[in-house]
Amino acid sequence: MKNQKKTKECHFCTNNLEPDYKDAKNLYNFVNYYMKIIGKKRTGVCSWHQRKLTVAIKRARKMALLGFTHK
Amino acid sequence: MSKTKPSGLIHYEMLFIMPNKFTDDEAQKVFKKVGELITSLDGKITLENYWGKKKFAYPINHEYYGYYGLYEFDLERTLIAKINDTLRLDKEVVRFLIVKKDVKSEEQIKKDKKIKEKIDSKKTEELKEKEEAKKETKKVSKKKEDEKKIDLKTLDEKLDDVLNIDNLL
Repeated sequence: MKNQKKTKECHFCTNNLEPDYKDAKNLYNFVNYYMKIIGKKRTGVCSWHQRKLTVAIKRARKMALLGFTHK
Repeated sequence: MSKTKPSGLIHYEMLFIMPNKFTDDEAQKVFKKVGELITSLDGKITLENYWGKKKFAYPINHEYYGYYGLYEFDLERTLIAKINDTLRLDKEVVRFLIVKKDVKSEEQIKKDKKIKEKIDSKKTEELKEKEEAKKETKKVSKKKEDEKKIDLKTLDEKLDDVLNIDNLL
């Protein structure tokens, strides 16, 4: 028996949002405990938004809104 | 093929950090200074936002706090290098980030509004469905409880019958 995968919808497509580096609260949902970026397979983000999300997370890290690692 | 134009205004967004050694008033003065830098280069400021003191996610130069400031402006593409140079040498700005930002046209804003209305209506419908489902489950559970009560009564009667039979024997 194969495990039935749950069909997830893209968070940004369904809510008509764009990934923004300024709201770190939202970006925390797409980051690991170790502050690593979670793959789109787990979060369900579409590939078009995943590309923008990675850029946003990296910008937020540079401006100290997100950490590079956990404390 | 590159899409670069020889000249033209571009919409930029700039976020920068001022050091913790300032008080709040001094930091606001530095914030205004940076705004004057933009206007001196014939830039049009469309949005200014002073965030105030915030905690860093990690220490920068052994400091844990800093003042954030945000500007949105239109500027000639050749002049952005000047802002880059001046801010990099400025000791009153710890870090800064300049980013191109797309300007939404009126058509897009209208489209977004329509999509938002659709999403809101969907959410309200889902909430209604959930409430209805909850009510139904409550009704079902009540029915079950009633059945159980009846069962108990019948059980008692049956037990009585059994006891009677025992007595007879």
